[in-house]
Amino acid sequence: MAVLTVDNLKVSFDTPDGPVSAVKGTSFHIEAGECLGIVGESGSGKSQTFMAAMGLLPSNGRASGSVRLDGHEILNLPVGKLNDVRGADVGMIFQDPLTALTPHLRVGEQMAEVLKVHRGMTGSAARRLCLDWLERVRIPAASRRLRQFPHELSGGMRQRVMIAQAMLCEPRLLIADEPTTALDVTVQAEVLDLIAGLQKEHGTAVALITHDMGVVARMCDRLEVMQYGEVVESGSVGKIFGAADHAYTRRLLDAMPRIDAGDAPAPMPAETETLLDVDDLRVEFPIRPESGFFRKPIPLKAVNGVSFSLARGETLGIVGESGCGKSTLARAVLRLIEPTDGNVSWLGTPLTDLDKRAMKKERKDLQIVFQDPLASLDPRMTIAASIAEPLKTYRPDMTARERRAAVAEMMERVGLDPDMQNRYPHEMSGGQNQRVGIARAMINRPKLIICDEAVSALDVSIQAQIVKLLKDLQAEFGMSMLFISHDLSVVREISNRIMVLYLGRIVEMGDGDMICATPRHPYTQSLISAVPIPDPDLERSRERIRIPGELPSPLDLRAALRFLPSKLAAGDEDYVPRLDQVAPGHWVAEHDPLDRILAQAPAQDAL
Amino acid sequence: MFAYIVKRLLGAIPTLLFLVVAAFFMMHMAPGGPFTSERKLPPEVLANIEAQYGLDQPLWKQLWDYVTGIVLHFDFGPSFRYKDRDVNDIIAQGFPISLTYGTLSFIVATLIGVSLGIAAAIRHNSWIDYFAVSLGIVAQALPNFIMGPILILTFTLWLGWLPGGGWNGGQWQYLIMPVIALSTSYMGNIARLTRSSMLEVLNSNFIRTARAKGLPARSVIWRHAMKPTLLPVISYLGPVFVYVLTGSVFVDLYFSTGGLGQSYVNSALTRDYAVLLGVTILYGALTIFVNLLTDLAYAWFDPKMRY
Amino acid sequence: MFGKSDKAADLAGEVTDHTAIQGRSLWRDALDRFLRNKAAMACVFVLGLIVVFVVFGPLLAQWSNEEIDWSRMGDIVRDGRPNIENGHYFGLDELGRDLYARVIQATRTSLLVGLIGAAMALILGTAYGVIAGFYGGRLDAGMMRFVDILLAIPTTLIIILILVVAGRSFITLFIALGAVSWLTMSRIVRAQTLTLKTREFIEAARAGGVSEGAIIVRHILPNLLGVVIVYASLLVPEMILAESFISFLGLGIAEPNTSLGRLIAEGAGTMAYGTLWQLLFPLFFYVTIIITMFFIGDGLRDALDPKDR
Repeated sequence: MAVLTVDNLKVSFDTPDGPVSAVKGTSFHIEAGECLGIVGESGSGKSQTFMAAMGLLPSNGRASGSVRLDGHEILNLPVGKLNDVRGADVGMIFQDPLTALTPHLRVGEQMAEVLKVHRGMTGSAARRLCLDWLERVRIPAASRRLRQFPHELSGGMRQRVMIAQAMLCEPRLLIADEPTTALDVTVQAEVLDLIAGLQKEHGTAVALITHDMGVVARMCDRLEVMQYGEVVESGSVGKIFGAADHAYTRRLLDAMPRIDAGDAPAPMPAETETLLDVDDLRVEFPIRPESGFFRKPIPLKAVNGVSFSLARGETLGIVGESGCGKSTLARAVLRLIEPTDGNVSWLGTPLTDLDKRAMKKERKDLQIVFQDPLASLDPRMTIAASIAEPLKTYRPDMTARERRAAVAEMMERVGLDPDMQNRYPHEMSGGQNQRVGIARAMINRPKLIICDEAVSALDVSIQAQIVKLLKDLQAEFGMSMLFISHDLSVVREISNRIMVLYLGRIVEMGDGDMICATPRHPYTQSLISAVPIPDPDLERSRERIRIPGELPSPLDLRAALRFLPSKLAAGDEDYVPRLDQVAPGHWVAEHDPLDRILAQAPAQDAL
Repeated sequence: MFAYIVKRLLGAIPTLLFLVVAAFFMMHMAPGGPFTSERKLPPEVLANIEAQYGLDQPLWKQLWDYVTGIVLHFDFGPSFRYKDRDVNDIIAQGFPISLTYGTLSFIVATLIGVSLGIAAAIRHNSWIDYFAVSLGIVAQALPNFIMGPILILTFTLWLGWLPGGGWNGGQWQYLIMPVIALSTSYMGNIARLTRSSMLEVLNSNFIRTARAKGLPARSVIWRHAMKPTLLPVISYLGPVFVYVLTGSVFVDLYFSTGGLGQSYVNSALTRDYAVLLGVTILYGALTIFVNLLTDLAYAWFDPKMRY
Repeated sequence: MFGKSDKAADLAGEVTDHTAIQGRSLWRDALDRFLRNKAAMACVFVLGLIVVFVVFGPLLAQWSNEEIDWSRMGDIVRDGRPNIENGHYFGLDELGRDLYARVIQATRTSLLVGLIGAAMALILGTAYGVIAGFYGGRLDAGMMRFVDILLAIPTTLIIILILVVAGRSFITLFIALGAVSWLTMSRIVRAQTLTLKTREFIEAARAGGVSEGAIIVRHILPNLLGVVIVYASLLVPEMILAESFISFLGLGIAEPNTSLGRLIAEGAGTMAYGTLWQLLFPLFFYVTIIITMFFIGDGLRDALDPKDR
């Protein structure tokens, strides 16, 4: 029997410009104990469907239709009645674990109130149950966590707390709204495993709302594909991944980059001229410790001795999880952040020694594209003015008319209609704005472009278009690229070589397919095994490599030697792992055998 | 925590010293002294008086004596106007009065303002919301020196319910109008601040989580939304407390309450620099102290704050 | 290149550009939101009426603000009442001067004080805050420490101190008002600059080789403007309040000129004798101006900073 039945659900929002319809009559059901995937890109109405069902729409939202939980109508129930269902029969977890927990209440207090409201359970019984659940979601040192505040936990740990809290009353249905989107890929894998385990163990039905076909392939039994507020296709995972009927579903599947595709761009010929040479680059930030009478700053080594070179026309992908220093590295190369030590030389000129004026001259050839397309454009400037800004600096000889022509030409080149030149960033979509960002970076025909998570904030289909655009531009103008991302499968699609960073150091570097197919370093292996592949059969049969413990903080000095427990055991905490060439062009940092690393006790979690 | 308080108090010393020195020099740069104003005194008499108050000494010596007087004996010196009273006496007489109705006004403004703001936010876009917003704006436009005559006009001259002025040991009939006059505009500000802060908090993710857990509305508001709502309000309350005390100038003038504000205005008009200086320094020290209290309260409300 | 033909070509470019879609700037959006706000628009209208009254009101006046009506000054309570026939529309003040003329002159003064005081705070506070926020580091720490020290002294005390020390005049009054009002403004601007500075579009401009001066002028200032306008609009009534406060103490503008605060003080002083019009007329104008200004400021905030609603 179906746990949840949604019938002809419509959701609209009252805005000053009239009602806007977000969900246009969706119908589906979730069986007991199954995992249903709701897939769609931003604006598809997939989250709003469930928010409406649970009565959590913002005050200007209206819902109509029918939502039945175990046969009882729950849509638009008064809050008092709905509260018997929320948290008891239906648990919810949300995308952003950083803001989803109340900041001033301890973890234990937040969890216990659920038991008090729904079970009338208080005191030590409630405490014991909370502790039990924290252990079931595999949080280390659980009893200590109960007394901690949310900000004292890492992102992954907070999401586990959210899950434990949602599961406390053993609900019939767990609604997971993009539960892993804000998490690093290895943490995502852990959280997904956890949800899958709970689903089996407790027979909880799961509604998994996501944009990621890889996650669907790993987790779901059936899926509903949504577009523009409507379900366009539904069916079993096997059927849809095998032969999708609807064009949109096919497009989604095709756009999804696959880490196992094996078609990474070929490595550059060896004799290609070197443009950029980075030698032992270091960036340190002074961090004030949280307590102490005379607080002395301690250095956070964001980039800790990184060396690489980049050839003309080459793309080097830089991959790593949060806190690995990849964005800092990019900014240090451009001297947007001053490096603490080391050298960056550009066509033989040491950039690190240049004064402001000389550096400004070089910037013409060194451009950057940022992660958030909207934030990287001045909201009060038309897009044409934004694109033209570098021209004003470097081509003062151009007339306004020539500038306008150049801007129009570049807009056309990046796939924007030149008629849109007087528009403002807030009037355009994320993908269009990112094209503007690329046009601005390309307008002076630079020799190097750094893409800092340039496609991470975009929907999958847009992401694929932007990657293609970058490749086309590279083929036409021959610039080199540093392509930075946390997403290994996207990096593989575009990069000749890939560099894997861990806590400010290189752990592995080599040709794209070499890294993805035959990774040598345990960290790279765990990273690759954690990336979901949009193929249900393959994905479910894959072996995962789990490094014990969560991604540690860069302030934790011992964490740097996580892959050399033998050196840690020997007390040699300042040891710097060697970078060995294991095959031509394939460099791997020194590490202990995998068994030795997996055998070590979970690393002490930094507070 | 203790270390933090000590550090803050130490940090306040240069601020206070700067205040003392700046105020001291400003007053001495002023044209004319306290004894030159009205009638012409014979030069020798003037010199005599000035010598008596130490005004013939070089400026740095006067400053040194003044500062050491405060630091060592907590003595702000004699008044230039009233022969037999020194500044300490004047402060000791006026300050308790200002403090009494100031504190009362502060409590009234905070309680009513916060309640009104919360009611408006919970019933967003309802008549109580519109009422609270309008009342907030109107109240904001009615500072104490406007409220003073309006209140006297209404309650004393027309209705004859309340005495028009005096202190009378702080009896309640004498307190009502000063407190209303002083608290109205701050009440309006606090109400509007609380409202917009709570609206923002109610839109945040953790409130959505609390609602998704099935908590009753009461618990969502009081347990989850309250503390974050009050954070910006608290940082406003610190300055308000100081304003309420210094704003007593008009209350003293209208209602003849005899607080410190009256002494301050009198000394300003009669160039009694000793009193002027003393009161300024007192209020400066009070401001610093209240700011410290505000920061401590802030930290108590926000677990992310560390000393 | 030929300068003239360039220009002609540019013009031609403008003409052909008409096919381009005209974007809606954030300013345009804000203006639309403001125009939709009924309370704020009503207040703009009322304030407009007051300005019209101040500008054209003197044409109807039959007395100047200095003249004493000797024939009626003997018994103000009886002869000084507001009266259309004898030309004293608002009655007489305690000295027998025409209150109509005096209220107009006082309203003008108060409006001017509000505008000039807010403008001074705007210019000084913005410049100070942007410099501190943008250049950061030691400079910022020093500059803000100075502001904190000044803020530790109650504002009314500073104003009174300055006026007592420097003597009363129109200029000193503005200096005194300006001296206290820019402090909060500078802190707000600094905080905004700090957040703007970390935004990616500033980094993008840096990477594009734009100089620091140009970044401030082209990117920081336009993005600050919304906040600054909102705050300045709320400063106007505050300046009027502060001036009234000073005038009330008898430290503000010198006779025969006057301001609303001064008139209210005088009216309040005599209300026990039954000459209520001396209090109510200035009080009416005063409260109307302040309330409308607050509603307008509120509307501007809603329009320019929509997240607040």
